Amino acid sequence: VKRNTIVLGITLLLLAVFAWAGWANWEYRKQAAAKQAAMAAAKAELVPAGSAPDASLNSSPLLGKQAPEFSLADLSGKKVSLSSYKGKTVMINFWATWCGPCKIETPWLVELRNEYASKGFEILGISAEADDLADDDKAGLAKQKAAVAAFAKQEHMEYPVLINGDSISTAYGGLDAMPTSFFVDRTGKVVAVQLGITSKADMAAKIDKALAE
Amino acid sequence: MKKKLAMTFAAVALGIVAGASGLGLALRAQSPLADSNRPMAHGATVEYLFPEQITLTSGKPSAVTLHFRVAEGYHINSHTPKDESQIPTSFAVPESSGVRLESASYPNGVDYALPLDPGTKLSVYTGEFTVQTRLVAERGNHLVEASLHYQACDKSVCYPPKTIKVPIDVIGN
Repeated sequence: VKRNTIVLGITLLLLAVFAWAGWANWEYRKQAAAKQAAMAAAKAELVPAGSAPDASLNSSPLLGKQAPEFSLADLSGKKVSLSSYKGKTVMINFWATWCGPCKIETPWLVELRNEYASKGFEILGISAEADDLADDDKAGLAKQKAAVAAFAKQEHMEYPVLINGDSISTAYGGLDAMPTSFFVDRTGKVVAVQLGITSKADMAAKIDKALAE
Repeated sequence: MKKKLAMTFAAVALGIVAGASGLGLALRAQSPLADSNRPMAHGATVEYLFPEQITLTSGKPSAVTLHFRVAEGYHINSHTPKDESQIPTSFAVPESSGVRLESASYPNGVDYALPLDPGTKLSVYTGEFTVQTRLVAERGNHLVEASLHYQACDKSVCYPPKTIKVPIDVIGN
């Protein structure tokens, strides 16, 4: 009988230990999950809903470097190169016909160009449609050009509009966000970058910065 | 007799051990850590949810509803955007995949305006949406790589048009 009591005691003890271990383990995991959720919430606060989930919208590996040279056709077919604007402050504005925010900022660009023209400033509006057209797809390219021309006319883009920006997208960091603008000083150096739409005042401040360099 | 009793207790103890570890596994499966949101691949703002596998009567058009989700904070154009310059969302099944897309019916977009242009209404999808398709399968097992083409934006940035894979295992009986 004594032995039975001992065995029963040990069994009950074991049972108690298991129950406690299970409970402790569950509590621990619950706490860890709460901690993780809190951390995720803190992180979420840093990136407001609706903004691009990664990176700052003002950064680019090109910042502080020479703007990559390009030579692209304008709507009349004439080649326009960046180097021909050396000595001027240039805003390179990448846009696409399917991009709503690009449409919103275009009137600001037209106004800014007029306001800063006397200070040696120019805007180059480069369409990058990302439609994966082959270089020999003449019909596709003609259709793209017509769409760009119609958009440029409708939105009164009074500055040089260049096409096939996709051919220089790698040099300009992939152009994964539209609009993307590079503010280039007189020496050809990128002094400010803007991904996405902000405001006319913000753009003016970046142009001022490029002019001051 | 005593020995027998001791053995019974040992068996009970073993049972408890097995039960406890089983319980532990069950708890682990239900752990709040286990169902944290699956991270979305960089650049993919739309995710195909389900079905992964369907069984259809071969040669007969069958209704299949496909479920998608747009990541939070983003919107994509509906199948019928209000402006012709916007790229519509569209679903496609490749030729000679053993399955033919007879028709696809898309939900109406919801009205949405960018904060900087509240007067212009866009027709978009956000959150979860479905595409109602009618598929005709040939007899056999087909691993179909269908696709969804869309163009996404958030409130200040637009992203280049993208095509995601919609893999469906279609069994035609």
